[in-house]
Amino acid sequence: MYATLVLWCIFAVFPFLWAFVTSFKTDQDVVNGATYFPGIDFKPVLSAWTNLFSGESIPIIGPYLNTVVISITSSLLAMMIGSLAAYGLSRFRFNLGRFGNDDISFWFISLRIMPAVVIAIPYFVMFNSLHLLDTKISLIIVYIGYNMPLVVWLMKDFFDNIPSELDEAAIVDGCSHFGAFFRIVVPLSKSGLLVTFLFCIIFSWSEFIFALILTINKSQTLPLVIVGRASTRIPWWEISAASLISILPVAVLAIVIERYMIKGTLMGSFR
Amino acid sequence: MTDSPVKYAFVLPGVLTMIVIVIFPVGYAIRLSLSSWEISAFGSGLDFAGLTQYAAVLQDTRFWHSLFVTFIIVFFAVSLEYVIGLSLALILTVELRGRRVFRVIFLVPMMVTAVIMALVWRTVLHESIGPINDILIRLSLPGIPWLSHNTVALISIIMVDFWQWTPFMFIILLAGLLSLPQDPYEAAVIDGASPWQVFRYITFELLYPVSVAVLLIRTIEAFKIMGTIFVLTSGGPGTSTETSSYYIWIRGLKEFQLGYSAAMAFTYLIILTIGLIIFSKLLRKRISPRKL
Amino acid sequence: MKKRQGGFAKRSQLRVSTSALLRATIFLLVTVVAIVPAVAQTNYVEKYPIFGTHEGPYSFAEIDKKDYSGITLNAITLAPPVMGGPTILHAKQFEELTGAKINVVAVPLSQLYAKVMTPFLTNIGAYDAIIFPPNWSGDIMGGGYLEPLPEKMLKSAQWGEVIQVYRYLQSWGDKIYGVPIDGDKHFLAYRRDAIDAAKYQPKFKEKYGYDLQPPQTWDEYRDVAEFFNDWDWDGDGEKEYGASEMTQRDAQLFWQFIVRAAPYAQHPEVKGGFFFEVETMTPLINTPGFVQALEDMIEIQKFYPPGGKNFSLSDVIFSFGGGQTALHANWDDGFIQAMEKDSPIRNQVNATMAPGAKKAWNRKTNKWDDFPNINRAPFLAWGGWITGVPKTSENKEAAFDFLGFLSNNANQQKDLTVGRYGVNPYRTNDFSPVFWTEKAGFDPEVAKGYTDALRNTLDHPNRVFDLRIPGNQLYVNALATAVSESLAGNMKPQEALDKAAKEWDKITHRVGFDQQKSAYQEIVNLEGK
Repeated sequence: MYATLVLWCIFAVFPFLWAFVTSFKTDQDVVNGATYFPGIDFKPVLSAWTNLFSGESIPIIGPYLNTVVISITSSLLAMMIGSLAAYGLSRFRFNLGRFGNDDISFWFISLRIMPAVVIAIPYFVMFNSLHLLDTKISLIIVYIGYNMPLVVWLMKDFFDNIPSELDEAAIVDGCSHFGAFFRIVVPLSKSGLLVTFLFCIIFSWSEFIFALILTINKSQTLPLVIVGRASTRIPWWEISAASLISILPVAVLAIVIERYMIKGTLMGSFR
Repeated sequence: MTDSPVKYAFVLPGVLTMIVIVIFPVGYAIRLSLSSWEISAFGSGLDFAGLTQYAAVLQDTRFWHSLFVTFIIVFFAVSLEYVIGLSLALILTVELRGRRVFRVIFLVPMMVTAVIMALVWRTVLHESIGPINDILIRLSLPGIPWLSHNTVALISIIMVDFWQWTPFMFIILLAGLLSLPQDPYEAAVIDGASPWQVFRYITFELLYPVSVAVLLIRTIEAFKIMGTIFVLTSGGPGTSTETSSYYIWIRGLKEFQLGYSAAMAFTYLIILTIGLIIFSKLLRKRISPRKL
Repeated sequence: MKKRQGGFAKRSQLRVSTSALLRATIFLLVTVVAIVPAVAQTNYVEKYPIFGTHEGPYSFAEIDKKDYSGITLNAITLAPPVMGGPTILHAKQFEELTGAKINVVAVPLSQLYAKVMTPFLTNIGAYDAIIFPPNWSGDIMGGGYLEPLPEKMLKSAQWGEVIQVYRYLQSWGDKIYGVPIDGDKHFLAYRRDAIDAAKYQPKFKEKYGYDLQPPQTWDEYRDVAEFFNDWDWDGDGEKEYGASEMTQRDAQLFWQFIVRAAPYAQHPEVKGGFFFEVETMTPLINTPGFVQALEDMIEIQKFYPPGGKNFSLSDVIFSFGGGQTALHANWDDGFIQAMEKDSPIRNQVNATMAPGAKKAWNRKTNKWDDFPNINRAPFLAWGGWITGVPKTSENKEAAFDFLGFLSNNANQQKDLTVGRYGVNPYRTNDFSPVFWTEKAGFDPEVAKGYTDALRNTLDHPNRVFDLRIPGNQLYVNALATAVSESLAGNMKPQEALDKAAKEWDKITHRVGFDQQKSAYQEIVNLEGK
């Protein structure tokens, strides 16, 4: 049994290792065939890494900032709007004709069917006319739409797991619904909020297609800049270094999230 | 559950946001699809060309081929992800040492930027300078044309997707497994059921709702596959790995045939929606009302 | 007594101080007169990486006199190093010399068309200077988006020195819109240590029945590729292979295919078009000449290095430039990479014209004509990157000054020797072998081979111009897809090319028949010039 696990581990980790090793090579080490062990097969150099920071190769700092700003802003906004909607769907009864709570929830989630290209093309034309191409705002707007269904889906579940007696008690005591939401339910769902927020960040961080279509230069995000470098004369060693740097934050976040995921906080979603 | 007019205040911002951000552009896409706009045709713009674009889409063999390719990739990738994800989850329900460590390691591929990892995979699978073929050759095995042979390229795409998304299946199924009630298992032990019977009739049955949910979600996401294709094969060799999203992108944002690509995109959306509705109905049929 | 001494002392002191003052003043004057001009005369060769200064309205000295402080220019270029490298470098220099600020937007090739065309789509001014290949002139110049060149540039020596072939590509209709910064063509680069060396001659002759030499036809190319495939012929302990070619569909497959098709399809006596029969705009890409080229290309795949069936230009440059293959029918880049200072095969390569063919299809008589003396049809693939100034720019003069400076003789000469910049010869002086031996350290034989190959290619009366009409991308994509399908074994050559021809026809009619016909006529007019 261990064998299977270890095998899968190797499979899972191998690309990361390879990128790590490659980032210490020079172009001759890469071009002449695969080399594996630093010191034995080739002489490790730091040039790929230093070039990254000196701005010589892939301009990393600007896109890094862009990615951070866009991810955080869009995730925060998605969280705020989405949590409100999730609370509403959790606590109140909706009856719009044939559509009840479950249908509305389903509608939110179903929007995730939308392939990026379908709305990217109209976005491209619309943002172009509004002079909003290549701005962070355009991506923030798109990512809010991209992440909110997830927020609604996850948070509704968290809220469902918090007994409604608590907020009902507060309302009986004279609290408004909003008050109950902010003062009772939100503090109790801190871990759920955090997990969902981190999920949003991870997905925004890694988004590629909208960034590809809607940016030109100034608001390019990390995935775009790195892939973009892979056109003529692909510098595999620089790309390896850049890739590792760019996935480091999300990898760390993933490890942080892991402890919450199994703890049963997500399980509620599937009942 | 209560009722109060304030409920709209909670939900409306979300609904409105989604309508503006998602529904509205689709409307615009429909408008685009009714025009003949393309940049190389000087004088064309947002005119009205009726359903000519849709007629062209229906006759476009390359579009239908791309649907086929997409379907193949989704089918095999999701199936593999489910099977292996379930296996890994089953293994990790046992009290093994270092469980936590394994879980964390398994999780990482799913969380990191897909496109970038696809690029790293391209280095790994590179037929001249990548390690895999190199190792194979050192073992006196033939090198594999990972990205330059029709079928093998498809396999490579499926493999990269599977590398990235099996953790998703794994984590959700594991959570599901951990929350299963113990009683049926104790009863099974008493009745002397074989491991396979335990699995088939207890574990699998009890896990069914979770399986359905996770398969649906993953399938929906998988149909949108684009970044991996973009980086790994650009749709090649020939058009053997060209998915619908990629083909639409080529027509729309590389060739700027805006009207035509919008029509294709909308057609794709409709086909996708119908397909997914049928798929989910098929899956849910087997769930007993109690579980729903 | 003291008093008198004091007085006397004072007077003599005074006299001393006056003469001292006078001397100091004269010294100062002389110094100023000597030094100031020296300071004012900056030594550009010391300050900047150039070989020497040249005269002209866009020279370092002239641009230095300009004051553009307060002006910001937005320029879009290709991601470094190809073209992006020199653009960014010269932008910095321009900023230093004139006080202007230049925002350089660098974009990878796969996205360049979209990013350059997007502002034009809705007539928004985004850039003051753009880079593009001449093939897109149909969309960009033909769409009326660019500003014609100022007189100052047209009259300058640096313009006049651009060879005629490349100057044709700068105009559309009767106006000139493009500032050339590069010159492109396909030619054959090969490994001297394999092909020119004596040691493999006997074996080759025994197997194929003729002398081993740089392949003159595509048939010979195939033989040579087969002979040098899959064994270690240069003694480095690794296997080498026959040929590196661009096979990736969405990359540069189109050009790799056309350079093969050219000698079979461009008959020196049949005028009226290569890609189309211009009178009727019937696509010619499924005629026997092209089919033969595709069959050749399917066959040659056997002699590719591993992964060679999915090579982009980048892979080819590393493959041939890294010593992996014997043959390279392509742009200059792989050859220049091989000739880099730290390349293991430096001076082990040489260049000659791209292979021709012993037969060419005559579409008037509907049969093959034999050419025992080999039909050559050098392909001016891509045409050489050019730049332009959009009409919407608010700083046109500064923009043109920048483009002129970027490509002035001093900068260009240096850029030519930096392989990764991708700047290839396009001015008359670039074609003298002496330049390459002195400034780039080429072996005299290699320098001569290179410059001869270039000159023969560019001056050839039967040369083929690239498909410089609106919607170029559409046609390129259609043909590349078909060729790719056939190479992958999914379709037979004739079938694939028929399909592409049908799509070409659809594109022509959909985009605008008259518009396309008059655009292609312009290219046909250049035939045989």
